[in-house]
Amino acid sequence: MRDNPLWPHLATIVKIVDETPDVKTFRVVLDDPGARENFRHRPGQVALLSVFGQGEATISISSSPTRRDYLEFSVRRVGRLTGVLHQFEEGYKIGLRGPYGNGFPLEELRGRDLLFVGGGIGLAPLRSLINYMLDRRDDFGSVEIVYGARSVADLCFKEELFTVWPKAPGVRVYTTIDRPEYGWDGHVGFVPSYLAELAPSGAGKYALICGPPIMIRLVLQELAGLGFPPERIVTTLELKMKCGIGKCGRCNIGSTMVCTEGPVFNLARLQALPPEY
Amino acid sequence: MKEITLNLRARAMELLAGGRVDLVIGYGTGSLPEFVRPVFVDRPERAGELIFNPLCAQNLTKYVLDYRDRPGRVAVVVKGCDSRSINQMMADGQLDREKVFLLGINCPGLADPSLLTGAAGRRDWQVESVPEGFRLRWPGGERLLPRDEFLMYRCRTCEHHNPVVYDELLGDPVPQDEAPDRFAEVRRIESLAPAERAAYWDALFARCLRCYACRNACPACTCRECIFDRPEPEWVARVVAPQSNLAYHLVRAMHVAGRCVDCGECDRVCPVGIPLREINRKVLKELAVLFGAPTPGTAYPAPEPLATFSVTDPEEWL
Amino acid sequence: MSVTTLTAGVISREDLVRLLAGPASEGRLMAPVRVAPEVVLFVPVRDPDAITLDYVNSTVPPKEYLFPRAEKILGWRGSGPQLELILPPELQPLVLFGVRPCDLRAITVLEPVFGGAYPDLYWRRRRELTTIVGLGCTEPGPYCFCVAWGISPVAAPEADLMLTPLEPPAAGGYLVAVQSAKGEELLRRSGVGPQAAGTEPAVLRERRTAELTARFRRLIDPTGVERAAERLFEHSYWRELARRCLGCGICTFLCPTCHCFNVIDRTAPDGSGGRYRCWDSCLFERFTLQASGHNPRPTRAERLRNRLLHKLSYHRTRYGLEGCTGCGRCVAACPVNIDIAEVVADLKGLMT
Repeated sequence: MRDNPLWPHLATIVKIVDETPDVKTFRVVLDDPGARENFRHRPGQVALLSVFGQGEATISISSSPTRRDYLEFSVRRVGRLTGVLHQFEEGYKIGLRGPYGNGFPLEELRGRDLLFVGGGIGLAPLRSLINYMLDRRDDFGSVEIVYGARSVADLCFKEELFTVWPKAPGVRVYTTIDRPEYGWDGHVGFVPSYLAELAPSGAGKYALICGPPIMIRLVLQELAGLGFPPERIVTTLELKMKCGIGKCGRCNIGSTMVCTEGPVFNLARLQALPPEY
Repeated sequence: MKEITLNLRARAMELLAGGRVDLVIGYGTGSLPEFVRPVFVDRPERAGELIFNPLCAQNLTKYVLDYRDRPGRVAVVVKGCDSRSINQMMADGQLDREKVFLLGINCPGLADPSLLTGAAGRRDWQVESVPEGFRLRWPGGERLLPRDEFLMYRCRTCEHHNPVVYDELLGDPVPQDEAPDRFAEVRRIESLAPAERAAYWDALFARCLRCYACRNACPACTCRECIFDRPEPEWVARVVAPQSNLAYHLVRAMHVAGRCVDCGECDRVCPVGIPLREINRKVLKELAVLFGAPTPGTAYPAPEPLATFSVTDPEEWL
Repeated sequence: MSVTTLTAGVISREDLVRLLAGPASEGRLMAPVRVAPEVVLFVPVRDPDAITLDYVNSTVPPKEYLFPRAEKILGWRGSGPQLELILPPELQPLVLFGVRPCDLRAITVLEPVFGGAYPDLYWRRRRELTTIVGLGCTEPGPYCFCVAWGISPVAAPEADLMLTPLEPPAAGGYLVAVQSAKGEELLRRSGVGPQAAGTEPAVLRERRTAELTARFRRLIDPTGVERAAERLFEHSYWRELARRCLGCGICTFLCPTCHCFNVIDRTAPDGSGGRYRCWDSCLFERFTLQASGHNPRPTRAERLRNRLLHKLSYHRTRYGLEGCTGCGRCVAACPVNIDIAEVVADLKGLMT
């Protein structure tokens, strides 16, 4: 079944990290050495994870392709399939199909200053690009990361957020939570308003956003005011997908199939699509 | 029926112009002579779109559910069979009576379009109901057809030519003769040996595509979230297969049991010709036999056999 | 005349029975049978005489032999660390007889969907194993409009063997064209030897096409309708049309070019199970409903617009092929008379 695009490759869960009360990062290794070798993804691409008996879910690959020993998927428990997946243990097998989608436009981003804006689990696809960029640090300019979640417990990737990324050269991390909490001395407020306070200049910079739709909408308004043109605002769309390969007919926006022509879009492209997402 | 159409248009125009209703849901001409379609007349100037002829089979009351939560009132055209749905919706707590203005039609019976095409020998005909039967007209010809030979299948066992609930009647009352046994086909199927009966239904359910037209057209199916749409828990497998198809139809029949008004829409809409009405009629027969219950929706309020407990209920199984 | 060099000839009605007798007796023949007064279905046929020839088209399109309504794509056993995958059941070669030109064209329309960068093995395998015997039309149906899309009702290239009835009701025989090696193989194994055609086959087909085209009930001209996607996307037309739509799946399931599917896992009590690819409908409410509760197409208006624009515009934009083949099934079966031919005229009218 090597050439069957609907046939999942088996992968074993080698590590599970509890990021938040409802998000876990699953580190998996493909069982077949050939499949491992051939799986080369770009940051921003997705894979379809099989939980046999429940079905498949489209999940962003949250690990960077520069770290080839494993693949990581950060999954929020929202429904039946993710509920069952959250009960899995290390050593359990899942299925994997991918990588699918267009990923972030790496060629365009090379040499540029980058502003990452993430909310909640939205940091997952951005993390793949952030770590890629840190592994290829000289290929990119300055990096600012503005990230927020409902509470401290809901912040994803805490180790990278507090320890790894702030220590990286030319990287500044700004974290916020929605409401004040005992023991948190950091910023309190929603991501869009934090962004307004920080007011990073858009000159020559790319903004990469991922988060809940409401956050994205408000952030887009802020970015317009900060001088980011639509071609340099990049986001990744989340749509229901069942095949990932342009056949099941459900992820289209007008005549564009998001699984093969997205899920990464810049704002200029997004504005040209019919309002159906 | 031409008179009914004219009355209907006049009343619709008055109701809309006077602001008594915001919308009139009725029938209009379809894209070809053998079709009619639901029309949603929201302005008095559009009242001319309304018609009533022997092709007007659809039970329009289902659409009332789309509008009942909005301010204002809608008018809906109902035949006898359709009107039972209104009573049942009220009994189910799905509808407040003042949200609908019922334009009742006294219907002597509808015509089967394919039989009409056969009688005309061509497709560009028009049909109206006259006291003697159906008058079929086409360019250069016409025929008067005896009603009982050209009756739409569902009308052969009509219980209510005249609406059982209405705000206005738009025609003259039609005498209600003793209808043929509604349960004749149910009895026929019951008389089959179990293996034969199973084979009969298995062959039919193997055709089912799970298009859910039967459910979507049914005025008794009013759940905001249907259990057959829920992936969790998956009560009936969503995969199309004879066993899960059987389960879907039987479970749905149980869900509408006691609330199905026998309007026949499920049958009419099924694209692969499964006689779904007979499943619901089996339940209706049981209600008639066990409880002496009339068809649900015949009156409102009315005692509901499956929603009422009485110490005198039959209990021969104890 | 050697079959391998014959590209066309004439066979009789009796020859047709002989052509299909072998596959029928082997249980490999799928052919149209009238199962109810208004319902014709492609079903397994053991006796060629049981085949219905008096039909315009089947109720359910023959796409289900290449893209089944439910197809097991894989199985598994074990769980947790012991999980292993199992191949789906082997398929058998089939002969699919009686496929009309509109449904044959639909195969071409669907090819880029199931092909492309990720070729679908299930579709491919079924195409390879299925010998399609096409059957040209003798009379346009009341809702047919294949000619509007440039499709001839008489013959189509997708069939392995293409039969064109020489005169209704085909008592006079069929013009047969061998259009592939599989077609040739079927002919050869049956022992049927076509006679030379009296008139040049291409001339015959052209004449029949012209005769039939003149008898279509409606003349539809879809030129330019694909621009509706761009120009009428936000028009209130869709909301008005969707008022009467019931949101069922009749049009999508009866459509020979609809291909949307769902992938559903089923588990047996012992933990083993299978993954099934099943027909799904973009008109169903939950089609694009996300786990978060967000639905990009929240009402029937958006969903109906999506289906109609997919047929009339998107498919052509993506693949250069018209999405509709004018088979008319959706027109015949829609319980509320949403008529795609009428929609074409409406949209063009709105764009002038």
